[in-house]
Amino acid sequence: MHLTSTMMTTSLILIFLLLMSPILSSFSPTPLPLNWALTQVKTAVKWAFFTSILPLCLFLNEGTETIITSWTWMNTHTFDINISLKFDIYSIIFTPVALYVTWSILEFASWYMHADPNMNRFFKYLLIFLIAMIILVTANNMFQLFIGWEGVGIMSFLLIGWWYGRADANTAALQAVVYNRVGDIGLIFAMAWIATSLNSWEMQQMFTLSKDFDLTYPLIGLIIAATGKSAQFGLHPWLPSAMEGPTPVSALLHSSTMVVAGIFLLIRMSPMLENNQTALTICLCLGALTTLFTATCALTQNDIKKIVAFSTSSQLGLMMVTIGLNQPQLAFLHICTHAFFKAMLFLCSGSIIHSLNDEQDIRKMGGMHHLTPFTSSCLTIGSLALTGTPFLAGFFSKDAIIEALNTSYLNAWALFLTLLATSFTAIYSLRVVFFVSMGHPRFNPLSPINENNSTVINPIKRLAWGSIIAGLLITSNITPLKTPVMSMPFLLKVAALMVTIIGLLTALELASLTNKQYKPMPNLSPHHFSNMLGFFPMVIHRLIPKLNLILGQTIASQTVDQTWLEKMGPKATATLNLPLITTTNNIQQGMIKTYLSLFFFTFGLALLLLLY
Amino acid sequence: MASAYLTHQQKVLRLYKKSLRHLESWCIFRDKYRFYACLLRARFDENKTEKDMVKATMMLKAGEEEFWTNQHPQPYIFPDSPGGTSYERYECYKVPEWVLDHWHPSEKAMYPDYFSKREQWKKLRNQSWEKEVAQLEAETPAVGPKSEALPPARKEGDLPPLWWQFVTRPRERPT
Repeated sequence: MHLTSTMMTTSLILIFLLLMSPILSSFSPTPLPLNWALTQVKTAVKWAFFTSILPLCLFLNEGTETIITSWTWMNTHTFDINISLKFDIYSIIFTPVALYVTWSILEFASWYMHADPNMNRFFKYLLIFLIAMIILVTANNMFQLFIGWEGVGIMSFLLIGWWYGRADANTAALQAVVYNRVGDIGLIFAMAWIATSLNSWEMQQMFTLSKDFDLTYPLIGLIIAATGKSAQFGLHPWLPSAMEGPTPVSALLHSSTMVVAGIFLLIRMSPMLENNQTALTICLCLGALTTLFTATCALTQNDIKKIVAFSTSSQLGLMMVTIGLNQPQLAFLHICTHAFFKAMLFLCSGSIIHSLNDEQDIRKMGGMHHLTPFTSSCLTIGSLALTGTPFLAGFFSKDAIIEALNTSYLNAWALFLTLLATSFTAIYSLRVVFFVSMGHPRFNPLSPINENNSTVINPIKRLAWGSIIAGLLITSNITPLKTPVMSMPFLLKVAALMVTIIGLLTALELASLTNKQYKPMPNLSPHHFSNMLGFFPMVIHRLIPKLNLILGQTIASQTVDQTWLEKMGPKATATLNLPLITTTNNIQQGMIKTYLSLFFFTFGLALLLLLY
Repeated sequence: MASAYLTHQQKVLRLYKKSLRHLESWCIFRDKYRFYACLLRARFDENKTEKDMVKATMMLKAGEEEFWTNQHPQPYIFPDSPGGTSYERYECYKVPEWVLDHWHPSEKAMYPDYFSKREQWKKLRNQSWEKEVAQLEAETPAVGPKSEALPPARKEGDLPPLWWQFVTRPRERPT
C-alpha cells in the first residue's frame, strides 16, 4: 500500500488513541489524580496536535488526499455502511486547527475551573466533544457524519447545562437541543432521500450518482440542518443562550468547532450544491439575512459573552454567504481563521470575567488596559482580526469573501446586507474594546487583578500568534480550487476596508457622544429592536407552544365530540335543512307582493328560455 | 409592624431607587450618571413637601408611567442577584448532609475523626428532636406561624429548634 496513505491512517488512529486514552483511564476504579485534567488530558491533546501535523505536512508536500475504508460495519446486499475516513484538504487542515485551539482552551480551563469539584468530569466532556468533532470532519459517509453530528449536539447539551442548579442554564441547554433537533429533521430527510435515490451514504458514490438528479429537496434538507447547527436566522436563538455555559465551553463549542459543523457539512456537500442555483440562492440570502440581523443584535448588548456570541453568529452567516457564492474553500478558510481569533476573544473575556469576580456586564468594566495589559491587547488583536484588518488572519478570508461577493453577478441585496454587517462588526468590536479596556474602571476594586498565571497567558499568547499568522500560512500553502477574480475596479477592491473604516469612525463618534452629557437615553425604538434581539425569541418561544397547545385543546375538547355530533351527525341535518325550510316558509306567507314578484320572475325566466 | 400594603413613602422610595438603577444602566460613565442622578434627585426633592395626598398619588402615578416608558430593556443586574449571570450557579454543589451517610465505608475510613464526631452529633440530634418539636408546637399559634424566624431555646440545656438544619446548611459559595 502507498506509504503516504498508511502514514495518514496511522497518524489518525494515533490521534484517536491519544484522545481516547484519558477517557479510558478515567474508567479505572482508583480515583483520578488531582491534576489528571492538567497532566493527562491537556498533554494528550497537545500530542494529538503534534501528531496531526504529520498528515498536514504530507498533504502540503505531496498534495495527496486519502480515503481509507477501515471496517465494513453494517453491510447488506444492497446497502453498505463502513467506517471510512476521508483525508481531504478540509479534514487535514481542520484537525490540527481544532486540536491547537482545544489545547489552548484546555490549558485555560485548568485555571478557569480550578475551583470546580467536578473539573475532571468537565475535561472528560470536552474530550468526548473533541472526539465527536473529529469523527464528524473525517467522515466519508453520512452515517459516520451523523454520529459525530449528534455527538457534538449531546456534549453541547451537557456542557451548557454544566451548572445545572441554575434554571437559565437548563433552559439554554434544552433550547440548544431542541433547535438542533429541528435542524436534524433536515439532515435525516436528506439522508433518507440520498439512501433511497442514490443507494449509498458514501460521499464518492453520492457525488458521482447525483449528477442526473434534481437535488433541490435533499439540499434544502441539508440547508435546514446547517441552519439549526450553525445558528442561521430562524434557528439562531440557542447560540446567545448557550453563553450560560462556562467560558471554555463557549470558546470551544460555540465559536470555533461545533457551530461550524453545519457550514462544514455544506462544504463537504459542495459537489452536490454547486449545480443547484436554487439551493445556492437560499444559502446566499439566508446567510446575508443572518449576518445582518445578528450583527444588529450585537450592537446594543451589554453582556460581553453575548456580544461575542452574536459576533460568531454573524460570521457564520458570512460563511453561509460564501457557500451561496459557490466558494466552499473560502468558507473553509474563514472557518479556520475564525476559530483562532474567536476562541481568543472568548478566552480574553473569560480572563477578564474571572478577574472581576464573575462580572460579565461591560457597563461595569473599564480601564482593563492598565490592569491586564496583555489580555486587553489580545482582545484588541482579536477584534482587529475579526474586523478584517489588513494582513491579520481575518483579512485573508473576509476580504476574499467580500471581493468574491462584489465581483459576482448575484443578488445586490445580499451584497448590501453583507457590507452593512461588516461595518456593524467594526462598530460592536470597537464598543467592546472601548467599554472594557479604555477609560476608567467602573467596578469596585475588591480583589487584586493580575496576569501572573502562565496557564492563562500562554493559551492566549498561542491563539494570538494564530490570529496573526494563520491566515497568511494557510493561504500561502493551499492552492485555491477556484481562480479568484484578480482585476476589479478600485472601489470594489477596497469596499470591505472602507466599510470597516466607516464603521470604526461611526463607532468612535458614538462612543465620544456617550461620554458627553447630551441626553441620558437614546432614541428608543431602534435600540429596543436591537436590544431585545429583534423580539424574535420573545415571539417565537411563546407563539409556537401556544399554537401547539391550542391545537391540542381543540382536538381534545372539540374535535371528536363537536365533529360527530354537530358537524357530521344529528345537528348537521338540522343545520343543513333549516335554511331551506325557512326560505320555503317565508315565500308562502300569503303576501301578494311576494306572489307577484315570483310570478314576474318565473314569467321572465320562461320568456328567456323561449327566446334563447 | 409590616403589612401587605405599602405606604406612600415606601412606594416613592422604591420608584426612586429603581429609577436610579435604570439611569445607571443607561448612563454608563459615572460622571454623566452622577449628573443625571443629581437632576433626578432634585426632581424628587422639589415635591417632597407636598401635603395633599391626592396630588402626591397622582404625581407618583405619573412618575411610574414615566419610568415605564424610559426603562432600560436590559437593566444592570448584579451577578448574584436573581436574573444575574451567576445566580444559583453553585446550587448544584450544595449537596444535603444526609448524603454523607451514603458514603462507602472505604470512603468514610479516609476521615475517621469527622465521622466518629458525626455519630455523636447525630445521637445528640435524636435526643433533642422531641424537645424541639414540643417547643415549636407550643409556641406556634393555631392558625400558623407568623414569620419564618425560628424561636431561640427557652429552657436551660436545650438546643434551639431545627438547629441541625442550620448547622449543616451548605456554604453560600461552595466553590
